[in-house]
Amino acid sequence: MDDDRVFKALADPTRRHLLDRLFERDGRTLTELESELEMTRFGVMKHLRVLEDAGLVVTLKQGREKLHYLNAVPIRLIHDRWIDKYTERHVSALAELKTTLEERTA
Amino acid sequence: MTATVAQATQVYQVFIRASAEAIWEAITTPEFTARYFHGARISITPDHYDSRGPAGEVWGDAQVLEFDPPHRLVHGWRSLYDPSLATEDESRVSWEIEPQDGGFCLLTVIHDRLEGAPKTAVSVSGPGWTMVLSGLKSLLETGEPLIDYSA
Repeated sequence: MDDDRVFKALADPTRRHLLDRLFERDGRTLTELESELEMTRFGVMKHLRVLEDAGLVVTLKQGREKLHYLNAVPIRLIHDRWIDKYTERHVSALAELKTTLEERTA
Repeated sequence: MTATVAQATQVYQVFIRASAEAIWEAITTPEFTARYFHGARISITPDHYDSRGPAGEVWGDAQVLEFDPPHRLVHGWRSLYDPSLATEDESRVSWEIEPQDGGFCLLTVIHDRLEGAPKTAVSVSGPGWTMVLSGLKSLLETGEPLIDYSA
């Protein structure tokens, strides 16, 4: 619904890191997520809140626990709206050239 | 460890500028689903879920577990569209439509009980459900699908 919130949520390395952790395995509690980050519980909560407001994280209650799930639909919508449009052939040709050159220097 | 193991419970959520009734119709009638659901013609009645490919081949055949228009729909899922997935255990798909302010609805899709269907879990994750829901949103809000499956 709100692209700005998604872009803002993604504009922070800790939040991108949280999304990567959830991509690997989601349905996790705050305590589990917190244990993998060098950050206070409050800090993790704050970041999860921003991700939730952007729709990138959805929580489901299971018994007394609140489980955090990654919701990739907003990223898909941004992809369909913003990325597809600009990824014409010439862009991918440049990306290929970059890969080739980087492989050579590696 | 970088994992690409797909989850046994997957959650997808999207805001759609449409009425709950319009979303319900788009989910349950083949004329609509053919335009955003990989071309599948899906009919959902209070007791049966039937999905067909363009030539009438069976892509999905399952029980409807909950049917509460236009709010909640739960049905079984068997991936009969792909022989390598068809033999896996049945999983479950739940649709929840919640009206919001400003003419929007929040649509939540939960695909769970995928423990016995790991290949299906991979197949529906990633671009799977996200593409279907992005296409559904586009169709309802603009009248145009993202991909023309009739071509």
